[in-house]
Amino acid sequence: MQDFEQQLRDALARKEQPPYFEAKVLAATRRQPKPVFLRWAFATASALLIAAGIWTDHRAGIQAKEQLELALRVTVTELGKVQRTVRASTEEE
Amino acid sequence: MIKLALITCLSLAPLGAQELKIPASLDRLAAKATEVVDVTMDANLLQLAGRFLSDKNPDDAQVKKLIEGLKGIYVRSFEFAKQGEYQDSDVEPVRAQLHTPAWSRIVGVRSQKSNENSEVYVKTGNGKIGGLAILVTEPKQLTIVSIEGSIDPDQLGQLGGHFGIPKIDTRKETGHGKDE
Amino acid sequence: MPTAGAATEANVECPPNMTFAELLRANQSMVFSLAYHFLRDRGAAEEVAQDVFLRLHGKLDDLADSRHVVFWLRKVTSHRCIDYARKRGSQFTIALDDTSEPSVASQPGDPLLNRRLQQLIAALPEKPRMVMVLRYQEDLTPEEISEVLEMPVRTVKSHLHRSLAMLREKIERSMGDIR
Repeated sequence: MQDFEQQLRDALARKEQPPYFEAKVLAATRRQPKPVFLRWAFATASALLIAAGIWTDHRAGIQAKEQLELALRVTVTELGKVQRTVRASTEEE
Repeated sequence: MIKLALITCLSLAPLGAQELKIPASLDRLAAKATEVVDVTMDANLLQLAGRFLSDKNPDDAQVKKLIEGLKGIYVRSFEFAKQGEYQDSDVEPVRAQLHTPAWSRIVGVRSQKSNENSEVYVKTGNGKIGGLAILVTEPKQLTIVSIEGSIDPDQLGQLGGHFGIPKIDTRKETGHGKDE
Repeated sequence: MPTAGAATEANVECPPNMTFAELLRANQSMVFSLAYHFLRDRGAAEEVAQDVFLRLHGKLDDLADSRHVVFWLRKVTSHRCIDYARKRGSQFTIALDDTSEPSVASQPGDPLLNRRLQQLIAALPEKPRMVMVLRYQEDLTPEEISEVLEMPVRTVKSHLHRSLAMLREKIERSMGDIR
């Protein structure tokens, strides 16, 4: 039973949010009215983020790379299917 | 086969450079699909991904070279539990765009046995490939791939065997004119 | 061995008085993942997760301190997901990129089994499904789940017990014996 529970933990391991998620939420909050002190806190946090130079988000980059690999995988797989379909079609004639 | 068709197409100079737009209406198929691949990568995201590809890793370097001239990669793939979950009319907006002078179909084949229809299009201009589109319709799967920008399909084929990408069968085609 | 996605001590207890941006960064994975594993739809998960954080943004003044935020996030996310699923009806999408591929970073365990379990969990009714996700994604105890879902502990334990038995049986039938 413990192994099965571990399998469940594996299956439900956290999934990463899209790379743009954080920026999207922060952008949406800017459209929300908020108390003055929170604006100050947010402005400070933003300034710190910019100062630290972390707009180039390491995680976002890794996720972009994974998305790229996925896209290429599908592309090459489908091209392979096309090749096989062509071959099968040729053999049918 | 694909290479021969490509060489033929490069000699054409169709007008315009229309990008393939994957209609948002296709997204509603996601609700019916058991598996969905949805990748939207514009030039910025591709550039970001490229920064995380290492020149020292041969696989990464290969991909980096492939994406150098790309402006976008868009993939929508839907797998369904049963047939009939999507119609030709769902795909028609995509086909309509591909049947314009900017695009040339280099492969179009239907397998009667499996009822699959596979089409590959390229967009050419100034003797270069400016885009690649793949449209595969199967009874329980629909896949659309659109790659914008300068792409070398040979480089795509060379990715096979890396990143978990299956190798494309590179058996040489024999004879001309039988494959389409 | 926890994977990159597992619940960590750092996320369970946030330092006090974090800013919204810091709270977002610290908890976005947890919120998105809860929504994703429950709804099995990336777009819907994103929508719910964003909604939860926007609510948090408006509510930050009312929350005692950052340490209560995690509990609040789990609670609101859970309830939002259940509401969302009920409105939408029982349709699920499973993203293909969930299936393990050699180049994709770390999903532990057997990919085929993972996928099958995810599908089976997604087919559970809403409350037992959320109980399972909270238990096995977040490693919450039945007592903690009871507080998050505002459900008696006995009901939580019953959901866990029945769901585990059903999942085991279905997995054994479809994939052979598991230990």
